[in-house]
Amino acid sequence: MSDLALSQAAPLAKSRGNSKTGLRIVQSFSILLIALVMISPLFMLLIASLKDDRFQILADMGSFRAFWVSEPTLSNYKEIANFSGELAYGRYLFNSLAILVVTVISGLIVNSMAGFVLAWGSLRGKAILLALVVALYVIPQESIIMPLVVMMSRAGLTDTFAVQILPWVASPLYVFLFYQFFAQLPKELYEAAEMDGASAFRIYRSIYMPLSLPALATVSILMGIESWNQYLWPTLVTQTDYARPIAVAIATFFGQDSIYWDRAMAASVLMMIPVLILYLAFQRWFVSSFVGSAVKG
Amino acid sequence: MTLQETPAAVLPRPGRRRDRQRFWQEVGMIAPAMLLLAIFLITPFLLSFWTAMTNQPLVPRPTPVRFVGLLNFQRVFTDPLFWTSLWNVTRFTIWVLPVQCGLAFLTALLLHQKLPMQNLLRGLFFLPAITSMVVVCVIWGTLFQYPSGPLNQIVGFLSGGLIQPIDWLGDPDWAMFSIVLLSAWQAYGFQMIIYLAGLQGIPDELYDAARIDGASALRRFWHVTMPGLRPTHVFVLVITTIQAFKLYTQVAILTQGGPKESTETVVHYMVRAGFEEQKLGYASAVSVILFVIVLLIALLQRKLLRRFDV
Repeated sequence: MSDLALSQAAPLAKSRGNSKTGLRIVQSFSILLIALVMISPLFMLLIASLKDDRFQILADMGSFRAFWVSEPTLSNYKEIANFSGELAYGRYLFNSLAILVVTVISGLIVNSMAGFVLAWGSLRGKAILLALVVALYVIPQESIIMPLVVMMSRAGLTDTFAVQILPWVASPLYVFLFYQFFAQLPKELYEAAEMDGASAFRIYRSIYMPLSLPALATVSILMGIESWNQYLWPTLVTQTDYARPIAVAIATFFGQDSIYWDRAMAASVLMMIPVLILYLAFQRWFVSSFVGSAVKG
Repeated sequence: MTLQETPAAVLPRPGRRRDRQRFWQEVGMIAPAMLLLAIFLITPFLLSFWTAMTNQPLVPRPTPVRFVGLLNFQRVFTDPLFWTSLWNVTRFTIWVLPVQCGLAFLTALLLHQKLPMQNLLRGLFFLPAITSMVVVCVIWGTLFQYPSGPLNQIVGFLSGGLIQPIDWLGDPDWAMFSIVLLSAWQAYGFQMIIYLAGLQGIPDELYDAARIDGASALRRFWHVTMPGLRPTHVFVLVITTIQAFKLYTQVAILTQGGPKESTETVVHYMVRAGFEEQKLGYASAVSVILFVIVLLIALLQRKLLRRFDV
């Protein structure tokens, strides 16, 4: 039984089952209340995006009307959901999605293969490579970005999808997470498969990958959020609409003289949906595996 | 590689072929990651050290690039604005650490129990963490509206009208604190998850034993929970500190370093030097300094974790 470390009321006796269930429900609802207060700004965002009148949105915000819309309308969404022109948020959303999907899928493959070899391979320099990966983890994205922009523009990659994907596919953190996950699986698994004459790649593909759903889920969520929220990098390497992601597009609202809060909010809601779906799909595995591995690192 | 390890005579021939096949397969599997890291991480990293010691501009000019030694570093260290930005991120860190980690710790304590709707509750508390910083800026940009935005109305209501409306993002005394508020709200979710895992890692038997010994809930918290979470605390504090020193997006969107440079940060300073003033060499020097800061924090973490022998 796991209990709240601070809770005053958690007697060992199991006979008090009923009152305990009642207490738990009360606890649950109070926590729910706190949670709703914490995420009230998000709820406000959703409501405001359904209001038509830009000036009314700001006027409503200080009162309970921020959480209520009498005549919901999708007009803000219709205004911005274009695929060309000034408000091509349909296109920006698609760009971000394409970048996310390709980054995450190739990242899962590339990083897990490397992690597998580091955990179970028989390469001589394995230990050195592992140490290198751990050391590289310290380098922050921000401190390599200057020369990287120049490298990419010399390679003629400015304003492409590739420039927003390739640099972030392989990552020391994810190689290490996979390494750690694979290394804790029993040794017999590998040996038995090897005895049966399976090749290294086959063992990886047919035995280890199917067992690593929690690790795959964790890395998918982390990589997905990371890719989705990239801001500094795409502002430096995109100049036109062609491959501009939605994060950069939303930020341009702030550069305007008067901010169109109605449109900014609709765009923001659009931006939240995909990553919310990603999280809901994988959250089952998230807490347990993400953490076990991260803390020891 | 195996040839040197094992005498050829011992191994049957097919085994050797299999070893070779295995070797190339493993190389093939690890090569994509290593190649990508070499191109997109190691190369620019090494380049930044070199570029930092030249006068290279962002856009190539006909005049050749000159080696200038440590001149860029000297210039960075004598620019008062750099010290302002370093002081600002330090200030930001000092404020955001207790707010963000405290929030994460408290919510983790709340959620660490068997409850109805457990997954739903966790998901709700985690929502801000999956919200993009740009979206967070849209939301808090409206909350911070001056003089009659929601936050000012709440403050006015709670103080009975005593506190005058605050120009959250426009007042040099308040701007960084406002950035702290929205940053902590956006990011506490990840630290909460780490704390949850840390709490799960404390064996139930310890609690049971403490309870049998008659320890009160508060004593159990102090003598079982807190010691059990020591490595988690170190980890959370360190990643939050590193994250804080890289502060950029919210400042770039909401304040552009202003008002009166009160929210200028190291990364924002670097990006401005590199892309607005086009001084790539100078900006690279700043990026090297940023790396050294992050490295020092990471080394400190290792030392602390060693001491707690984890």
